[in-house]
Amino acid sequence: MSMVIIIISIFNIEFYAVVPSIPCSRLALIGKIIHPQQVIHSFVHAIMGMLVTWCATVMTKGRFQFLAVSCTPSEGLEDAVPQMCLNEYHLFFLLSGAFLGYSYSLFYLINNMNYLPFPIIQQYKYLRFRRSLPLLIKHSCVESLHFVRNFCVTYYFFGYIPKVWICTTMDLHTDGKLHPLDTLSGLLDLSLFYHTWLSGVFLLMTWYIAWLLFKIYATESHHFPIQPTFAQETDQCLPKILNSNPPLLIKFLALQDLMLLSQYSPVRRQEVFSLSQPGGHPHNWTAISRECLSLLSDLTQRLIAQQEAAAAANGRAKPPVGELKVPPQTPGAAGIEDMSFQSQSSPALNYKMGVVDIKSPWHGPVQSPHVMRRGPKLWTSVSDQQMNGSHHESFPVLSAARTGTEAVQPRFIYTWLQNKQEQIKTFLSKRALIMYFFSKHPEASIQAVFSDAQMHIWALEGLSHLVAASFTEDQFGVVQTTLPAILNTLLTLQEVVDRHFKLPHVSSKPPRISGSLVDTSYKTLRFALRASLKTALYRITTVFGEHLNAVQVSTEHKKRLQQFLEYKE
Amino acid sequence: QLSVLLSLQLTSEDMIAAFSQAVDWAGCTVRAFAWHPHTNKFAVALLDDSIRVYNSNSATVPSLKHRLQRNVAAMAWKPLCASILAVACQSCVLVWHLDPTSLSTRPSSGCAQVLSCPGHSPVTSLAWAPSGERLLSASPVDTAMLVWDVSTETCVQLQWFGGGGVTYLAWSPDGSKVLAATPSAVFRVWEAQMWTCERWPTIRGRCQTGCWSPDGSRLLFTVLGESVIYSLSFSEYRGEMQGQVGGSKTASIVADLSETTFETLYGEERIGGEVHSMVWDPTGERLAVIIRGEACPLFPPHSGFVRGERGARPQLISFHPCFPQGALLTVCWSSGKISHIPFFFVGALEPHASPRRSPVPVLGSVREQPLFSEL
Repeated sequence: MSMVIIIISIFNIEFYAVVPSIPCSRLALIGKIIHPQQVIHSFVHAIMGMLVTWCATVMTKGRFQFLAVSCTPSEGLEDAVPQMCLNEYHLFFLLSGAFLGYSYSLFYLINNMNYLPFPIIQQYKYLRFRRSLPLLIKHSCVESLHFVRNFCVTYYFFGYIPKVWICTTMDLHTDGKLHPLDTLSGLLDLSLFYHTWLSGVFLLMTWYIAWLLFKIYATESHHFPIQPTFAQETDQCLPKILNSNPPLLIKFLALQDLMLLSQYSPVRRQEVFSLSQPGGHPHNWTAISRECLSLLSDLTQRLIAQQEAAAAANGRAKPPVGELKVPPQTPGAAGIEDMSFQSQSSPALNYKMGVVDIKSPWHGPVQSPHVMRRGPKLWTSVSDQQMNGSHHESFPVLSAARTGTEAVQPRFIYTWLQNKQEQIKTFLSKRALIMYFFSKHPEASIQAVFSDAQMHIWALEGLSHLVAASFTEDQFGVVQTTLPAILNTLLTLQEVVDRHFKLPHVSSKPPRISGSLVDTSYKTLRFALRASLKTALYRITTVFGEHLNAVQVSTEHKKRLQQFLEYKE
Repeated sequence: QLSVLLSLQLTSEDMIAAFSQAVDWAGCTVRAFAWHPHTNKFAVALLDDSIRVYNSNSATVPSLKHRLQRNVAAMAWKPLCASILAVACQSCVLVWHLDPTSLSTRPSSGCAQVLSCPGHSPVTSLAWAPSGERLLSASPVDTAMLVWDVSTETCVQLQWFGGGGVTYLAWSPDGSKVLAATPSAVFRVWEAQMWTCERWPTIRGRCQTGCWSPDGSRLLFTVLGESVIYSLSFSEYRGEMQGQVGGSKTASIVADLSETTFETLYGEERIGGEVHSMVWDPTGERLAVIIRGEACPLFPPHSGFVRGERGARPQLISFHPCFPQGALLTVCWSSGKISHIPFFFVGALEPHASPRRSPVPVLGSVREQPLFSEL
């Protein structure tokens, strides 16, 4: 029994993930299930299940104990040699254990139970465990019921296969006197059902407790020192860990610690704001702020790329909704030319969005990050200058395509290949079965983009609390020099996130299932990110107040900061 | 066992009326009141289950209605936010996401997020964390206090046995501690970092109301049936003492508001009695109290009284969270009028930094009456 628990725990440790892997399409889901790692996981769990139920049968004694028992003597036979018969109850038990183990593994995979959710409030480990225990017990009982019911159905249809196999290999006979179990009358045995259910509850409870304890211990907040007091601790201190590339769990714990120290620990905050001896450089603050800002800019880039992909996809299929109020033209003619600019469409689109400012509704704060980012690059590229001449067109993608005809010739083969690829895709998309497997589930793809947003949420909270605290606690002014960069990054991210939420499906909340053992908080991480981003900005503006007007930021951002100062956002 | 008794004997309206901070919740027009923590905006909950939001910068008065918004017991604006309002309703907590620049007078019910948990109704008290991330909700029939993460709609149940449900919540302005009063003669003070609590039994009666000093070092509370104000002090929060609330061993009486007779211009007046609700202004220099029908602001070393029109009794009091020239007391009267009374003064301490030790109002003689705490 203990060996079983140890093996289960090893599997928990091997398979954990702080970032859930979300399959975006049904094919990806099937791929996940037949992945060799997962197959091994299921197989081992099935064996474990069988072992546990075998232990349970040994403990129960009675009629379940042995695989082979002597047959009930029949009066008709002349020779009274006792024969060994298959004890079908025992077999039933072992197979139910295997089935339970396999179902647990499948359930584990589909519900992303290897995902480690971090708790929303900090609590001592014992209290967390005690809090989750009633739900765990209830869940095990209900789930065991479902699994046993499914197993009974499976055994009814397929039970004869293992029976026959065991009988032939072990040279046993089926006992004619007793009812065979793979019939309705055999399966309606209440005592059997009760015993199987009870062993299922036992099995699930021990496995879930092991999983719960692993989760609680792994997500416990860890205290990282900021200033190393001993030489061997240098690698463990917070700025160093954040800047190197540690395993994801360590990075998560480091960011969680940053979030906690920024709120609750004045002593450690002082260490963050301190200067190095000698030299007077704010190494700690620089390292921490640089890492947080790079995380946030990374997310900004990812979201922009996602939005461009969505806009490009929409441009090919149908007119984009919402933003562009000018009448959209049919994209049919732009089909071929559009393909050749797939790789270039990114800077082209952004350029369009940047330059078509007088005429289109993109004018305003929306296009500023692109102007800022793409501005310097525009004047160096030749193809961009060609597009420069025709930027008075209405539809960005179309105009890019139309002006691109001059540059098509050298790329003929390339476009022809792309064209063929497109034709095959359209052909396949008409086949419903293929689309059933390949179609990207929109909600899942959105969740996948934000799957590691917990890191960004903590970075935002930690950074904003430190900046707010620096108003009174920063003696050397180390935070002030980085304030423009911080504000720029936060405001840019906020624009991009707001725009992202205008895409279809993003702002709809997935249905909430309360009272379930499985944690689905990763599905709503994007809402938490948006809320904590706004709160972070308000925290900084509330503490600094009118002093923020002295910080060097672009005019666009100054206007938005003013909105925040007046509580109008 | 107390919560079972409560739920059998009282309907939810009776429960809300018994535990609400409003003096006459069941009959008066104004049921709940909340100032926005950063701007000149406030929300008023009315008898017809609607909420009106008044803004000094705008002439439109949005009226919030929702089919689940019934029997509103309390409201709270989210700190560090433009306009998110949490409303404690009969069966759930509604969180309204209003557009601060919108001119609409009837925001749609789609703006409201419903946070509900089985067994947690009616909700009688709400408290946002001062850092704006978590919302606490309490119900007298639920022994667990819920900590909500509003954006993901997940909650954590903080269960503690003994004392029945939780009737009143008050989060200290520095974010470190939470007062949770129960219907029995016990109240708890939670620390908000590791969520452990201290249990304080009172001599008789339940904790009726409480308020924190701005730096979280002192808690003033009153007990139902008594006309004194008790004070409990807590050690200064350093962040290194994880898991300890740090309360002192006993509470001391700081004010005795028993009935006395005063000579006024209009003849003798008998003022005093049980305290119904109490608020402390954000500078820590003024304390306002509703005594069995009269409002009375106390400030050291004198005290004064606020009187409304003939026959009007004060229902709810609240201080403006960021009045720059002193303190602004808002009183909601039983006649449906809301009056704002300014107190102009220069604070004894600098306006921006939180005071290290808050001045404690003293009236008359101080009697030491020890209460024993169980840690």
